[in-house]
Amino acid sequence: MNRSWLLLLATGLLLILGSCNKQLDIQSSRQADEAGHWTSYEDARSGLIGLYGLFRAAVADNNAHWLLGELRSGDFKSVSRPDLKAIIDGNLNASFPAIQSVTNWRRFYAVVNACNLFIERVKECEADQRYTESYYKLDIAQARTLRAFVYFYMVRIWGDVPLITRSQDGTFEQLPRTKQDAVLSFVEQELKEAAPYLPYLYSGNDPEQKFPNNYYGNNSAYWLNMPMTRLGAYALLAHVAAWQGRYVDVAIYTDFIINNASKSNLKLLSSDEVVNSLFDASNTTLGYNQLLGFSFLKTKGETTTEGHIEELTLANTTLYAMSKQMPDIYVPKDVISVIFPKTNGNDDRFGVDTTTFLKLPTTRYFENYSSAVPVFKKVRVVDGSAGNRGKFAVFNSSIVFTRLEEIRLLRAEALAVLGQTNDAFTELNVIRGQRKITSVSPASGADPIDEIFAERRRELMGEGWRWYDLIRYNRIKHNNAAFNELIDQGGIYWPIAQDVLNRNPKLVQNAYWQ
Amino acid sequence: MKIRLLPSRTFQKAIFSALAIISVFEVCAQSDTSSVSNTKLKDSSIVVTNGVKLEQLSANFKGLNQLPLKSVSSQPYISLQQLLKGNVAGVYVQEPSGEPGTEQNLFIRGISSPLLSKRELFDQQAVIFLNGIPLIQDNPFAYEIQRYDFNRIGPATNLLSTINPDNIESIEVIKDPLTLATLGPIAANGAIWITTKNAHSGYRDISVNSYYGYALKPNVTPVNAAYENNFRAPFYDKYASISDRLNYPPYLRDSTNADYYGPANWGDLYYKNAPLYNMDLSLTGGSDRANFRFFGGATKNANIADNTSLSRYTGSFFINAAPLKWLTVSSMINYNRLQRVRNRNVRDRLAEQRYIPDLTNPLTPNKNLYGSYLSEFDKAIDNNANNAIQGYLAVSADLNKFHYNGRLAFDYNEGIRDAFWPTTLLEGNNFVSNYSSYNQRAIGSNTIGYDVRFGGKNKLNFEAGQSFMGDIYKYDYAYAYNGPNDFVKINVVDPASLKPTSFMVYYYPAKMRSALISFSGKATYSFDDIFNINAVVRRDGSSNMQPDNRWMTNYSVGADWDIKKHLLSSCSVTDALSLSASWGRLGKLLSDDRFNAGAQYRVDLGWGSEPGLGSYNGIAGISRPYTSGWVGYGIPWAYSDQMNVGVRLGLLNNRVRVAADVYNRDDKDQLLPIPVASEWGYTGAYQSGMSVNNKGVDLFITAELVAAKNHAISWVGNLNMNYNTNKLTALPGGLNELVIGNNKLVVGKRIDAFWLLDNLGDYKSDAEIPVDPLKGRRISYQGTPIQVGDARWRDINGDYVINDNDKTLQGNYLPKVSGGFGSTLGYKAFSLDVQFYVALGRKVLNQYASSRLDFINTDANNDINSIKEITFWEQKMDLSSYPVYNPWSSVVPYRVDQNLFLDDASFLKLRSLSLSYDFAKSMSKHKSFRKLELYLSATNLFTITPFKGDDPELVNYNGIYTGYGLPMSPSVITGVKLNL
Repeated sequence: MNRSWLLLLATGLLLILGSCNKQLDIQSSRQADEAGHWTSYEDARSGLIGLYGLFRAAVADNNAHWLLGELRSGDFKSVSRPDLKAIIDGNLNASFPAIQSVTNWRRFYAVVNACNLFIERVKECEADQRYTESYYKLDIAQARTLRAFVYFYMVRIWGDVPLITRSQDGTFEQLPRTKQDAVLSFVEQELKEAAPYLPYLYSGNDPEQKFPNNYYGNNSAYWLNMPMTRLGAYALLAHVAAWQGRYVDVAIYTDFIINNASKSNLKLLSSDEVVNSLFDASNTTLGYNQLLGFSFLKTKGETTTEGHIEELTLANTTLYAMSKQMPDIYVPKDVISVIFPKTNGNDDRFGVDTTTFLKLPTTRYFENYSSAVPVFKKVRVVDGSAGNRGKFAVFNSSIVFTRLEEIRLLRAEALAVLGQTNDAFTELNVIRGQRKITSVSPASGADPIDEIFAERRRELMGEGWRWYDLIRYNRIKHNNAAFNELIDQGGIYWPIAQDVLNRNPKLVQNAYWQ
Repeated sequence: MKIRLLPSRTFQKAIFSALAIISVFEVCAQSDTSSVSNTKLKDSSIVVTNGVKLEQLSANFKGLNQLPLKSVSSQPYISLQQLLKGNVAGVYVQEPSGEPGTEQNLFIRGISSPLLSKRELFDQQAVIFLNGIPLIQDNPFAYEIQRYDFNRIGPATNLLSTINPDNIESIEVIKDPLTLATLGPIAANGAIWITTKNAHSGYRDISVNSYYGYALKPNVTPVNAAYENNFRAPFYDKYASISDRLNYPPYLRDSTNADYYGPANWGDLYYKNAPLYNMDLSLTGGSDRANFRFFGGATKNANIADNTSLSRYTGSFFINAAPLKWLTVSSMINYNRLQRVRNRNVRDRLAEQRYIPDLTNPLTPNKNLYGSYLSEFDKAIDNNANNAIQGYLAVSADLNKFHYNGRLAFDYNEGIRDAFWPTTLLEGNNFVSNYSSYNQRAIGSNTIGYDVRFGGKNKLNFEAGQSFMGDIYKYDYAYAYNGPNDFVKINVVDPASLKPTSFMVYYYPAKMRSALISFSGKATYSFDDIFNINAVVRRDGSSNMQPDNRWMTNYSVGADWDIKKHLLSSCSVTDALSLSASWGRLGKLLSDDRFNAGAQYRVDLGWGSEPGLGSYNGIAGISRPYTSGWVGYGIPWAYSDQMNVGVRLGLLNNRVRVAADVYNRDDKDQLLPIPVASEWGYTGAYQSGMSVNNKGVDLFITAELVAAKNHAISWVGNLNMNYNTNKLTALPGGLNELVIGNNKLVVGKRIDAFWLLDNLGDYKSDAEIPVDPLKGRRISYQGTPIQVGDARWRDINGDYVINDNDKTLQGNYLPKVSGGFGSTLGYKAFSLDVQFYVALGRKVLNQYASSRLDFINTDANNDINSIKEITFWEQKMDLSSYPVYNPWSSVVPYRVDQNLFLDDASFLKLRSLSLSYDFAKSMSKHKSFRKLELYLSATNLFTITPFKGDDPELVNYNGIYTGYGLPMSPSVITGVKLNL
């Protein structure tokens, strides 16, 4: 009697537990498993957005876009950060964490790998009827363009980089570097092939019904030109050609962009628009002018401290109170006076405010000009411009890679190199006129190349161009012995981070930095 | 803010049904009045989740691995780790801060994986069983959304602060492989077995324990800006350029500035004597067939620094019943609430706020200004609370040769943190964050056993068991900046658009579930109590493993031999001699569910300083896990092969007892993120195959130097020591070495070593700096030529470039020898107890000195490491013995990864001294109480160490001394223990 009671109890308790393996099938809620992925419209969307997000992370981490593009031999000086000073002085071997981080190309290759995987797999999403062929074609074109973009971005920094065009999940082959010409010809080929599949506007007016309308459920004002547009691809084509010195192509590509600019809602901006609105992607009209860029939207929780030039340049000024007293980097006054010479007349960006009796300097680019360390405030989107007056130093400015003014100056550069001096000056004077400075006449005998690069220096200050402009300028002029040496010995490229070299013995450090 | 105890809904059901069952049994117990023996009821409370605990033959050595509770319960220790520290051989406790309730680490017999991050740290902790319930801890997955990992988000309270020693019958450290094998994979890192005092029958049994005392202010050397100014002067004199001088920090610039150059009297506000107390009461009683125990207590532990404290409120209830003669039912509900008052460190606050303001001007050493800063915290909210509740309902049936144990148990704890910091503390922005989380574990287990006796002396026992364990970890965390003012802390929603109007909220929910199913079998053969042979087989399935590797089967064996009884029964010298040996293989669990499906996609759009970013252009994006590392397929169970051989020897009527255990532990097939070519985008790829060996000796000696029986004086000495050494024996993929971050792992070398440059002093002149004869270039640090004023590092490979190749593995952050010793001196009813704590052969990396000396970079970076706490104005160590390098140099001569900052951190501490008087002993005829003991205890009295910093114990888990730990100050308490 007792014993059977016991057996009953024992079996009862055992039954509570039931089948085991079923209870061990617990799917993680913090990730999506491979099985069942790439089967829906949403998978395609999140994968595509992932590409942009990874790219943004690559250029935002440690403010890499500016550390790599703006500082070296540039106009900015470091106030007290020794790591920035080392970069400015071209002392790129210096062992600061920030330099180790920006010379590590892993984040760029994460974009490459994600693009490769996306291109290989997104076709499977067509299992979902909502994911139509037009979505597929457009998404593939974006992924290919982004991949080309990231390769071009890397080539500018490191020269030869391994060219990888497959995802090869789970195997981590060690590959040597590919000659940069091969990489760039791949880039050019990809851009040429992908560009026709990209629209001028996302969710824009499209009578041919070639592109998805209401792309991923959002209208044109939502997208702006944040996803890769056709003009974005052409801008990249133009820059790849310029980097390789193929200025005929540059002229063609830039011409295409300028002729079609209105289709992407691009226009030349006034100086006030540049300073007040251009970098703010929440501006649904002027925001289109970020032809190629990466946004940080406050309303979407993408406010960050890092990834903005403001983190380096902003500080307390008499007009804009911030708790940070000194910026990390600044443009010294003597440099400012060289960049904005009085002979140009009263420059909108930095000149004299003629409306006041005192003729004080204007404050579009700089504030606190009277102090030893002026504050560069051209880009200043603090906390979504919420009006907290910089008390809370978080930023929303987009990383703008290129815009119409930059393209026009690139066109001027191409025309000048091609010997079409008059046209070059015309193009240059468009921008100069826009900034209210006197035109340069071809008859003045001014060197068009010098004038154009001087204008780029003014117009694109703080946008991550200076170092690459110096390279192109010196390649064209070839009159600076020290720089020629840099070009000849590969010193224009950055060293590769030790960590990257350690992980792949087939890589060789750039000779200049060995 | 509000106080909650809201378990998840399913869990509430479980608790209610458990309570309902208990009440049913109570009715049964009342209706049946036949008696069961007291001892049997006691036994039934020690029901083990899986199988029954193995007892070794040597009875005299039963207390060997047990904590000397009598001694430690007279000390104001608040956490289990503090109780165990230095008291049981083989247990090593890290206490990185003296702040009560902060996380502490507990390792048994070394670590089986390098502590690369908090994740590995979590995976190395020993498991704690409370009456057979393996306690669930906070899972480190919350660190994934954190920018800094100094503190976990949420209350971050040490959940093992819930153990009140007055409620404890015994705490045993389980190291024997076979016993661990019966406990299953959860015990692969060793186990702590806590048995509470339980219900038993009797007329009444009341005990009251209480102490009260103070933690005492330490002697610190406060300094003001003049000290810092003088400290920096030699660097400026020697190396500074004009512009460097112009950049002299503003707070040091003006020596007439009384805020900084005035009196350094901040310590009056920061350091205060802090009261400590404990009060608890227990009541036990009932009949033989149904009895109960209640325990309630309140404890407060506090630190002298920064007004930090931890309060604990405990209530436990036990009911045992024997509704039938052969059936006993026992149950427990144990509830603890922990409330923590945290420090006001700037770093900890900014780490949570994820925002670095301008740090140019530090807090002032001046009391008035510091006081007005502290008064801003009156507007702040920083509530940290944990509720933890454990319970079980166990059934035990004993039918001659058959016996059955069944148990349903749960452990549920929740953490709540509400933080608000006003605008005045963060550049005109306020910050609010709310966190709520729970960890939940439910266990159902059954064992059935059968005993056979044959031939008089032979005993055979078989046991089969099965168990299910389900865990849930969940948290919800939200933070927001820039509220409308310092009074409105809730988010007002615009009625039309339903959009929040006042705060932009960042919200992170997360949840993780896992399950473990086990089947086990055990057989014991014993011959006349001379030989004992045990064998265990078990099969475990874990949901965190991939489907094709979900199950693992392991075997373990062990044997005991009582030599004294067998061979030496007539020998008069030895009173006990036995030998035991056991070998076991345990599967090792993964604590993260992200490996169970292989290749995966995750949100990975953030970067170092912005880990929480999950969208681009307002749309969520996912990708391969580039930052956290590639996870592939075919990941097998990691396992731990453990072997132990022990000798027990008793001499001189067992007055001298010596025990030694030699052990070897091989942890194999462990996962490690292997660095792979960066060109695939990953920080690493997880591969299994890392093996680590730990071996060592545990030694115990107790000696009754003067026996109590014949003399008024008694004197007992005790010693427990562990020697442990670890070695990496294999890396995944047959690699011989690899580098992960700042760690290098080399097969054959220790896993807790530092990877450092060898510092040889300085270069006096340019002529001393070596020049590469081939290239004609000076020796460089990673390409930057070395100058006078830079450190002189050894160029190990002779390539005239100092880089990672010139770093070597040096030192170790876990001690080679650790343990404790002490003695108890008794005279009549007096007893004097002294305990020392010792750790030898241990190094730390002094990041504090490095960042103080590297002040140029520290200040200029304006990052989390640039923060100067109020303790900046305290001389923690003498920095004058370091060479004067050029702090402006771009080779960063004061970089921390060199052995200039590798300090010997061995130490000996007088951890406790207590004097007690037992009235029951002195008035043996008077029996109105069973025990009345008064005592006076002092803790943390002194430290002997070659370490130059403030305390060699206040070091991070990975051996880095930052100077951030709050001091472990001396404390004095008086207490009373009364049993009626």
